Amino acid sequence: MVVRRRIADAIAFLFASAATVFGLFWLFWILWTTLRQGLSALKWGLFTQMTPPPGSDGGLLNAFYGSAVMILLAVIIGAPVGVAAGTYLAEHGRYSRLAKLVGFLNDVLLSAPSIVIGLFIYVLVVKPAGHFSGFAGALALALILLPVVVRTSDEALRLVPDEMREAAFALGIPRWKVTAQILYKAATTAILTGILLAVARIAGETAPLLFTSLNNQFWSSSLNAPLANVPVVIFQYAMSPYEAWHVLAWAGAFVLTAFVLGLNILVRLLARRGQIR
Amino acid sequence: MNDVNETLTPLRIIPNDEPVASTKTQISIRRLQFFYGQVHALRDVNLDIRANAVTSIIGPSGCGKSTLLRAINRIYEIYPDQRAEGEITIEGENVLDRRHSLSELRRKVGMVFQRPTPFASSVRNNVAFALSYYEKLSKSEINDRVEDALRQAALWEEVKDKLHHSALSLSGGQQQRLCIARTIAVRPEILLLDEATSALDPISTAKIEELIHELRERFTIVIVTHNMQQAARVSQRTAFFHLGELIEFGKTSEIFTNPREQRTRDYITGRYG
Repeated sequence: MVVRRRIADAIAFLFASAATVFGLFWLFWILWTTLRQGLSALKWGLFTQMTPPPGSDGGLLNAFYGSAVMILLAVIIGAPVGVAAGTYLAEHGRYSRLAKLVGFLNDVLLSAPSIVIGLFIYVLVVKPAGHFSGFAGALALALILLPVVVRTSDEALRLVPDEMREAAFALGIPRWKVTAQILYKAATTAILTGILLAVARIAGETAPLLFTSLNNQFWSSSLNAPLANVPVVIFQYAMSPYEAWHVLAWAGAFVLTAFVLGLNILVRLLARRGQIR
Repeated sequence: MNDVNETLTPLRIIPNDEPVASTKTQISIRRLQFFYGQVHALRDVNLDIRANAVTSIIGPSGCGKSTLLRAINRIYEIYPDQRAEGEITIEGENVLDRRHSLSELRRKVGMVFQRPTPFASSVRNNVAFALSYYEKLSKSEINDRVEDALRQAALWEEVKDKLHHSALSLSGGQQQRLCIARTIAVRPEILLLDEATSALDPISTAKIEELIHELRERFTIVIVTHNMQQAARVSQRTAFFHLGELIEFGKTSEIFTNPREQRTRDYITGRYG
């Protein structure tokens, strides 16, 4: 019996380890491939030069800038609304049927294909305006970020023990003040973690940007015009016949992957710090 | 169960037999019923709680003793499936009346819970938080009141150099005294302590019991406790609850030495609970 148990244990251990290695294998392969392929473009110029026309040297500065601006704007638009809606779900509407329905609809939005959201903004913003724009891109990204933030901040607030709420309410303090000054404080780390995860989610979104901000080969800081961004540049350059563009696409892919990986590590560190409290 | 010859096992405790100074009733509970959804948790409770005295509520788990406290400051209203019927009169007003201001009630009736619940901010801000909500005070006035509250809670000496440290860095016993300080900072009249020492070590428990003793002069205190020695040590009056009903209520010394009811006798001699 003991032998059988040991064998079963060894098999389970092997299987679990193999599964872990399998997952890590792909991650490292992706990182390694993007690094190797994009290495010759991974120089300072990548961050100081514009995307080049075919046959000349260049970098991805305008694309990095455009992505940063759109992500930032998406966070500015989506995060406050998301946190507010999450607050409604976790606090005000915790026991209401309406909140359950809202939560369900939010989950639908959460799993909506991003290309559908791109199309939606295309019809709503791009078509009436008559041109692609960075603003439309940011709006599409905000719509993808929103349900992630709603769900994570809802859960973050639910993690605050009821005892904390009772203690605050027992002092006679009204709900809005309890939420704003006690519950948010207790849930800051978890809410922040959710926003960072949402940023990681939208950082690599390509489909919605194809319909909204499109791309711009030149430097543009106008949100009312097509705006360059990393995912669409990768898409276009990787599909092109030019070797120099391929290398740039790989370099962009590497930076993007490293950025998302870095965000995830940051989230982990934050979560660990949050637990100690 | 009904062994008539059973004699009381001595509890090796000296009941707190000080004369009760005040005879003024602070909280008058009449025909109180409490429901958790369909569960009828308190049945027809009638109880007069005296001012400036410590009243302890004892009884086995699930007897409704915490529920009684939670009805007095209406904290149960956070949960939509809980409701109370009957009357709880404080200073001539039925506080269970929905028109009665919750904020006013809870300012008057402070509550400390089983587990310490410091807010995730500094020691000072934990105390100042409710204070600055109720009163428009200058910064130095707030600091004075914070110090005063911390002194009353016998915590000042331990935290005076770390007022701006996180309250979460304090020990469990200090956190619980901080919760008491936070509660008395708004100058309530009544303090409800819901097993406030059951999560603490013996030394912290002793400190809080001593504190209860001191605070008794200024507040009407109602404590719920699982620890009968504690009830005997700190309270002047004791109410025994069983299965949602008030079985016996009287002077602590009498409840512990000469209870009238068999169920009280069984409980305090450790037959169940």
